Amino acid sequence: MSTENPYAQYHVVKQGDTLSKIAEEYYGDKMLYPKIFEANKDVLQDPNKIKPGQKLRIP
Amino acid sequence: MRFAKIFVALAATTLMIAGCASQKEPAEKAMAQVESSVAEFRADAEKYAADELQKVDQSITKLKNALANKDYNMVVKAVPSLNSTIASLKQSVAAKKADADAMMAAATAEWTDLSAKVPQMVEAIQSRVDTLGKSRKLPPNVDKATWETVKTDFETMKTEWTDATTQFASGQADAAVRKAREVKAKGDAILDKLGMTPNA
Repeated sequence: MSTENPYAQYHVVKQGDTLSKIAEEYYGDKMLYPKIFEANKDVLQDPNKIKPGQKLRIP
Repeated sequence: MRFAKIFVALAATTLMIAGCASQKEPAEKAMAQVESSVAEFRADAEKYAADELQKVDQSITKLKNALANKDYNMVVKAVPSLNSTIASLKQSVAAKKADADAMMAAATAEWTDLSAKVPQMVEAIQSRVDTLGKSRKLPPNVDKATWETVKTDFETMKTEWTDATTQFASGQADAAVRKAREVKAKGDAILDKLGMTPNA
């Protein structure tokens, strides 16, 4: 059983976003995109396929 | 005449002894009652009104000595006033205990809330600190000085949280809550420095 952490940060995917771009925005390093992918495996099957409006947890 | 004087003196002494002796039972009974009524709330009185209890105990000791010296009249006369002191001490102890219980309940409720939030906060910050620790560059909203401060403050936060939980476990709910509030404030500041907008 997992309860949502109220201090977790989220990013709502915009047009043109990629996981690398999001990783650079939050971590300063686009190579850390797998961290975001791993944290969102429940909604993402492929790190290259994200859709605008998706809410991603930024660990 | 001489016989009459002796007779009067003897009669007076006899009456006095008889009078005193007739007070023995009421005096003993009254003292037993006094001790039993104090025993009913002694533990709480020791905790909430130790000085006042000490004064009552001194009075009880004085009357017990009088009882031992067969000064039953003195005991019977003094007990009502002592009973009234005991009754007011009992009331004062009950009020202080009610205040302490209310404070403890409030502290426990606040602790329950903080002890749910702070570990979640620590978990979220730890995850970000670990990731930023692996980053080749800091994100645009975090400069090097801020990053160094965050790392130090976060270590302090974790240590202080451990201290707070230890305090709570050892029954110091009030101190634990004060510490936990400080820890949460520190966590809020860290989240702010890292630009981590809480989801809540």
